[in-house]
Amino acid sequence: MPVLLAVALGASAVAPAGARVLLSTEEALNLAFPGCKVERGTVYLTEAQLAAARRLAGVEVRGAVVHPYAARCDGRPGGTAYFDVHRVRTLPETVMVVVAPDGEVTRIEVLSFQEPEDYLPRRGWYQQFEGERLDGDLRLKGDIRGIAGATLTARATTEAVRRVLALHRVLSAPPGGGEARREKRER
Amino acid sequence: MIVFEEKIARTARVAVVVLAVLLAAGVALPAAAQTQEERIEELERQVEELRSALEAARQPAAAGEPVGDDEAEELARRIDLLAAEIERLKIGEAAVTADRSQYGLGPAATKVYRVDQGLSIGGYGEMLYQNRSSTRDDGAVSGSKDQIDFLRAIVYFGYKFNDRWVFNSELEFEHASTGSGGEASVEFAYLDYLWRPELNARAGLLLVPMGLTNELHEPTVFLGARRPDVEQRIIPTTWRENGFGVFGDVGPVSYRSYIVNGLEAAGFSAAGLRGGRQKGAQALAEDFAWVGRVDYNGFPGLLVGGSVYLGDSGQGVTVDGEELAVGTTIYEGHVDWRWRGLQVRALAAQAELDDVVELNRLHGDTNTLGIAEEMGGWYVSAAYDVLAGRAGEMALSPYVRWEEVDTQKELPPGFTPLRSQDTESLTLGLAFQPIDNVVIKADWQDYDNAAGTGLDQWNVALGYIF
Repeated sequence: MPVLLAVALGASAVAPAGARVLLSTEEALNLAFPGCKVERGTVYLTEAQLAAARRLAGVEVRGAVVHPYAARCDGRPGGTAYFDVHRVRTLPETVMVVVAPDGEVTRIEVLSFQEPEDYLPRRGWYQQFEGERLDGDLRLKGDIRGIAGATLTARATTEAVRRVLALHRVLSAPPGGGEARREKRER
Repeated sequence: MIVFEEKIARTARVAVVVLAVLLAAGVALPAAAQTQEERIEELERQVEELRSALEAARQPAAAGEPVGDDEAEELARRIDLLAAEIERLKIGEAAVTADRSQYGLGPAATKVYRVDQGLSIGGYGEMLYQNRSSTRDDGAVSGSKDQIDFLRAIVYFGYKFNDRWVFNSELEFEHASTGSGGEASVEFAYLDYLWRPELNARAGLLLVPMGLTNELHEPTVFLGARRPDVEQRIIPTTWRENGFGVFGDVGPVSYRSYIVNGLEAAGFSAAGLRGGRQKGAQALAEDFAWVGRVDYNGFPGLLVGGSVYLGDSGQGVTVDGEELAVGTTIYEGHVDWRWRGLQVRALAAQAELDDVVELNRLHGDTNTLGIAEEMGGWYVSAAYDVLAGRAGEMALSPYVRWEEVDTQKELPPGFTPLRSQDTESLTLGLAFQPIDNVVIKADWQDYDNAAGTGLDQWNVALGYIF
């Protein structure tokens, strides 16, 4: 078994396409939660939860395994970070979206961007997601303003934030009606 | 029960082995029917099924005490390891490393996932139908025939050699066939050296960084079935020349500063500068030019900036034994503002030329139909997506553009301006985007000019980008 796991790990080393990596996951989490304790969770969504997330997001939610990174700062909940990988044009962008305990976006960071940087919006554009909640105005041409020449990036990023907020809301729902099994480990 | 446990454990063990092999093969092998995203999704589903099976195995078959099983616990741990591994695959290189920290943080130590090569492919195209009026504003028969043209089919190729060196290019097929007046061109092809956000270098066949349309000329970006006239006659989009320079972002300000081969004045005309482009093809390099651009992006949805082009365009041409410099200055200011469904774009450009008397003598125009010392124009356009209030990509945007261009603004003493080149136009149209990548535009253009010979037309355009 260890041999096979090693094969899996080794194979993954040659697989991902080259990205322009701006931040590692660890750096992004340190930026979002300085001095806080961060727990990485693994949640296996039920069919009902997946359907609820899709309905809330209004965009595609792929994959039933979610990894929330929950932070505790000075003993209190400090927010939850999620990493979302999505296609921009033909290549992916990876972003980290940090959600406050009350469901508001507090931070967004671009970790990697594989498309030409001409399509990478400036940092100021991403900051407009801060303070956003999952509602009907969280969309391009709603609360989110577009950007000349990078519409596909703007669309993909906006959908990613909707997806993350929908998952967060589903995972924050009180138990009952198919609560996901959730296990946490110290990161 | 023990037999049952062993059976479950054996089944789970085999499943984990299969998963590990799938994880290896699913990522390492080239995509066939499934994309990598789909393969990862499938792996996630299998992890979840496996975990559910293990959960079920831990429960008593009917009533009774739950079954404890160390091996099952170990298998559960390994399943979670695989789930974590899938997460790393989804996130990719950023899971473990950063090669350019924007915040002064050191890169993570582990780089086993790092692969530095990457091919990027994209493109766009547009087809344009133009139906021109049979009569001009003065009532004369225009003689103009309607036309439908596959204007451009473009392929972008980019290649990342490593974290610092990146190649980008645009290959254009214009008017569909070289056998029927079309051409194949390299619109741009340059190498970037990416040092830091504030300072990077670029060299090759470059898009001259002026205006709103020259660098962003995809049909989904500009309003109108046809590009604005100012950005064809004063800023001769698509304007590309050979050169080198630097670019970067400093806070909310982005800049570009290039040295390029100058325009070729022998190609200028009473209609503007468009004929002076050298397009990187065996370009005369007797004269060079500097072009600089600054944009402010401080507020989401707002782009405001300007650019200047300074250089000689003589390229060694002589008149009466004297070499002409033909100093050329072009400057422009622009704004693009987006708020909810509203989009407003405006631009003003001005060009000034030296040695125009001699240049006109070269062309044989001594007192009429000459190249001007000063030419310019401006436009303002606006669109509103009436579907902006609803979710989804679909957009339906009525738009309007008012534009004035005069390529005969100021001529040397003794020259008579060609009044037909002093134009103003109103464009009214509708753009429909079923998805962000596709646009269908239809508009009507009312052209007037100082000579009274304006020719109206209506257009339908189909555009795509990927």
